[in-house]
Amino acid sequence: MDFGILSVIIFLPMFVAFSMLFLPLGAKGTRNAAFATAIVIFLLTAIVYFNFEVTGYMQFREHYTWIASYGINYSLGIDGLSLIILMLIAGLIPTAYLWLWNGRTKGYWVSMLLIQTGISGTLFSQDLVLFYFFWEAMLLPVFMIIGMFGTGNRVFSTIKITVYTIMGSLFMLVSILYMGVAFYNEFGSWSFALNDIIQITTLTRTEELWLFAGFMLAFAIKIPLFPFHTWLLETYSNSPTGGVFLLSSIMAKLGVYGIIRFVMPIFPELYKEFAPFFVWLGIFGLLYFGIAAIMQVNIKKMFAYSSASHLGFIVTGIFSLNVNGMTGAAFLIIAHAMATGGLFLLVGKMEYDLGIKAIPALGGIAKKAPIFTVFFAIMFLSIVGLPGTNGFVSEFLIILGVFGFNHAAGIVSALTVLVAASFMFWLFQRAILQETNNDVSQMKDLSVKEIAGMLPLAVLIIAMGIYPDWFFYKIEPTIHHYLVDILEIRTF
Amino acid sequence: MADSILSYITLAMILFSIGFLGVISRKNIFIVYMSIELMLNSVNLIFVSMGRYYESIQPQVIALMIIAIAAAEAAVFLSLIVVMYRRKRTLNSDLFTSLSQKDSNE
Amino acid sequence: MSNFLLAWIVLIPLLSAVSLGLMYLYSIKISKISNIVFTTIGISAPFLSFFIGLSFFLQMIGNDEIFVYKAYTWLGVTGYDIDMGFMADKLSIFMVLFISFVGGLIHIYASGYMRDDKGYGKFFFYFNLFVASMLLLVLADSPIIMFIGWEGVGLCSYFLISYYYEDGANIEAGNKAFIANRVGDFGFIIGLITIFYYAGANGFDYINLEANIASVSPTILTFIGFSLFVGAIGKSAQIPLFVWLPDAMAGPTPVSALIHAATMVTAGVYMVARFHFLYDLIPNVGLFIAYIGAFSALFAAIIATKQTDIKKILAYSTMSQLGYMFIAVGLGGYSVGIFHVFTHAFFKALLFMGAGAVIVALHHEQNIFKMGGMKNKTPLVFFTMLIATLAITGIPPFAGFFSKDEILLTAFSSGQYILWIVGVVTAVLTAYYMFRMMFVVFFGKNYKEDRTIHFIPKSMTMPLVVLAIGSILAGLIGIPEVLGGHNIVGEWFVNWKHDSLHVTHNTELILMGVNILAAFIGIFIAYKKFYMYDMKEVPKFSGLVWNKFYIDEVYDTFIIQKIKQLSVFISYKIDINFIDKIVMGLSRSFIRTGQYVSRMQNANTRFYAFTMLVGISAISTYLIIVIR
Repeated sequence: MDFGILSVIIFLPMFVAFSMLFLPLGAKGTRNAAFATAIVIFLLTAIVYFNFEVTGYMQFREHYTWIASYGINYSLGIDGLSLIILMLIAGLIPTAYLWLWNGRTKGYWVSMLLIQTGISGTLFSQDLVLFYFFWEAMLLPVFMIIGMFGTGNRVFSTIKITVYTIMGSLFMLVSILYMGVAFYNEFGSWSFALNDIIQITTLTRTEELWLFAGFMLAFAIKIPLFPFHTWLLETYSNSPTGGVFLLSSIMAKLGVYGIIRFVMPIFPELYKEFAPFFVWLGIFGLLYFGIAAIMQVNIKKMFAYSSASHLGFIVTGIFSLNVNGMTGAAFLIIAHAMATGGLFLLVGKMEYDLGIKAIPALGGIAKKAPIFTVFFAIMFLSIVGLPGTNGFVSEFLIILGVFGFNHAAGIVSALTVLVAASFMFWLFQRAILQETNNDVSQMKDLSVKEIAGMLPLAVLIIAMGIYPDWFFYKIEPTIHHYLVDILEIRTF
Repeated sequence: MADSILSYITLAMILFSIGFLGVISRKNIFIVYMSIELMLNSVNLIFVSMGRYYESIQPQVIALMIIAIAAAEAAVFLSLIVVMYRRKRTLNSDLFTSLSQKDSNE
Repeated sequence: MSNFLLAWIVLIPLLSAVSLGLMYLYSIKISKISNIVFTTIGISAPFLSFFIGLSFFLQMIGNDEIFVYKAYTWLGVTGYDIDMGFMADKLSIFMVLFISFVGGLIHIYASGYMRDDKGYGKFFFYFNLFVASMLLLVLADSPIIMFIGWEGVGLCSYFLISYYYEDGANIEAGNKAFIANRVGDFGFIIGLITIFYYAGANGFDYINLEANIASVSPTILTFIGFSLFVGAIGKSAQIPLFVWLPDAMAGPTPVSALIHAATMVTAGVYMVARFHFLYDLIPNVGLFIAYIGAFSALFAAIIATKQTDIKKILAYSTMSQLGYMFIAVGLGGYSVGIFHVFTHAFFKALLFMGAGAVIVALHHEQNIFKMGGMKNKTPLVFFTMLIATLAITGIPPFAGFFSKDEILLTAFSSGQYILWIVGVVTAVLTAYYMFRMMFVVFFGKNYKEDRTIHFIPKSMTMPLVVLAIGSILAGLIGIPEVLGGHNIVGEWFVNWKHDSLHVTHNTELILMGVNILAAFIGIFIAYKKFYMYDMKEVPKFSGLVWNKFYIDEVYDTFIIQKIKQLSVFISYKIDINFIDKIVMGLSRSFIRTGQYVSRMQNANTRFYAFTMLVGISAISTYLIIVIR
């Protein structure tokens, strides 16, 4: 493809957003423009998907010089892993827009568009400084959307997440610069391109450890990994629906993506060395967050914990150093984005209609809104890992992978079948099914638009559970490549 | 010759210290100004004695320049004091605090 | 190819379920669809599966053919290929036949029982989905696909138990069922993954696993066998994961009949039989299984003797009979255990459905001590239930006699005399509590003489008759040689027949006599206490047995409350008070530092001058002295 399709995907939303700011369109016009942009991005992604070759290497490359004297280039590329996440973005955002259709202001839509730019940019960057640029750029619209349109203690929450994330990114920046200097010292020229940084050989082990820690800190805060998770609850609870949807479905995954894209190739030895630590940390997070979710009263906080629990499991998968675990992790990224995103949209609607977030104040929704209940059931069953949904396939693969890595860890990680079930079923009973004395008469069932948005997700969740193999074949070479070439581990 | 230059320098240092202590510890702005002048003059003394010691004319040029600059500074300093006195009716430097953290916006 | 039909056994109920579900949503949102539509589609699905299954069955008579159909690659992760495949061998086709047939009968029954319910279409959606999952479970050609069916029946069980969802207590019962199942599944998944890892090099279907199993070390095999059995404990309600089964009676009676009598709970037994190639190699685990079965049987029978809710009596009876099945398969008598699954399906489903008929007749009364004298009020129900009760008690020539006898024979001839004694004692208790129920419900005077009897539709009574016939005849396929029969069942599973039993024909006959005697002792005691029971008031019970040995309370206090406390501990003590305090403390320290530093900006000129002195002196000293 000649015309730099990746750049279009990145900058189109930003372009539209800024035009909207200058044009005298109201909220409705901005919303329509945003939705149109999302559809265009979806079509562009489809083009990318169909032209994507099934190998393990970077495709659709673009390269422009940016700051020549320091070797910082505008360099983009996409491989199997970024493709998955791109498809997630392209598919989920139109759905979210359909659900946010009414009642949002112009600023809301502009912020959503800008977040999309930041996300896409982070995904495609092949140059470290460019990556950092977009990584930070992602945060600013999020800061605004939570601060302006959130609920509760929103200003505090937004400052907390922004500052916390930036602090982590700061360490990453130091690591990046340090490595740039090391590259210069070794090769005599400046470059921050990923492929070049990988070539550095002159770092001592202590240096490598600190650099590794710097990167991992930034990603650990984003995902979040225990113990850097304390921003999660307040922020998810106080975010508006669009914000929390993007945060949990996509931005958290970018932390995982960052680990695979940058940490793995640059520090393969340390990656392997610390793998047991992160496997156990992920399992610990799975259990810790899962148990904490049980007694939560605020439904969004419960889902925040549930989301963190599964993200911990994804991290376990990617550090399990075998093909099953990593494939399972990739699959769980997709499954989790769809199911958790769907649930947050549903809960957002509940919050919008009823104004309540506390579980004891809910109940009896199944009678009022049966279609809502059906979708809710499909989403939460995917999180519980019911066979027949993609949640099961992913969790099964990860358990298999972890077992291959370390038997004890595998056995403990099998507890995932119990963890989500314990709070989800109870939640379903209290909030949706059983009749209580609470007034839920304001709850409306799903409109056509909302069904249109949620239906593809539900169908995909089940389709991926019934026929998972079809969804794997484009990304398998990439995973193979990571394991065999980068980490130098036999696949099986 | 070395001895004598040492005594000039010692004298200059003493004058400088007196001037500096005056800047730090005196509250009256005029006294502060006089101390600053004293410091400048002590530096002048050092330069001139250096000139005599090394038999070079350059320090003497610098000394002349310092005198000129001190005069200019005197003009600026004294007019500022006049303006400030008109505002606050006091010459106590401790009372000019409107830019501090406490007194401006907290 | 013709094997493709195999997939249709599962697909038909599945597609039927999906269309029923969509039609139901349509009918509540857009325009109503009459119940007839739901009934026709819902009932025909299991029977269609039955006929397809029958066609395969007929092809398998007299030979050892196994039909395999691999639909597509389900998961082709590098090196392992898991296919969505179906395998019909003698075991699975046998299960398919009675699952679909008895299931179909219960569908007919349900069309009568649920006819006035608003969610009729939804009910049949769940029911068909259940049948599809159960058929997938037995027809799967690899353990993972079986697990999909395994969880599927668990899910449908959840939905059906909590069917009357307005009342939170029903949903709690459903939750309990699902979570108890999940605890079992935790073990099952571990077993699955271990066997995958160690024996799945050539492929992960049963045929390949069987070929590779011998190469795995005995310790690992024991671990696998034990873990897989944990799953069976959950699914088949044995000690210690049985607590969900009595509560599951909160669901409508057809649900209890289908799921908790004839099909889902037997999945555990099927699983052990399916993994016979594994359990044959680890007889210690088998013995453990048999012991768990025996003690579950005894435990449940004891509790049943004091229950007053007719459905709960039957629930504990199911748990007890399942215990028998596990005794058999644990000791290697796979055909014997499956035979009892088969006969049990008939008479237990009949018992539940009959109980449902009585409950409906008495306007949803479930306490047996508020019944009585139903013999004359509902004679058909009485007669069919009597047949079923005779069957379960083990009176020849009814079905239960032959299967139960085979089980006890297996125990005796394997030298496991403890198990045999437990089995015989349980048989006495079984006879006692079943006839206690029969006498109290059907004999004597009715609790309220003037109560009108609610009409019972034919759709409910006809299946009772069919199943009664089944309860009589089902045993005939297993008549052992000693009595002149050919033991067709045993021959059918000839590949897995346990070593021929080392007992003489005389011993066999004596043991049979002991069984019959045990049954009559139980009946006699029940007769003495309850025949012509004249009820002036409803008896109240208390005590250890009545309270089910307080097991539920124990679980609640020691496990559930502890987990809840842990959850609160984590989210408040650790997250908010500990970790977050560190984070917030870090940020506050920045603020405080800034406040301290800002005190240097105190607008005190002399202070500034002083600082300048200090600074300049330091720098100058450094420059002059340190750097020459």
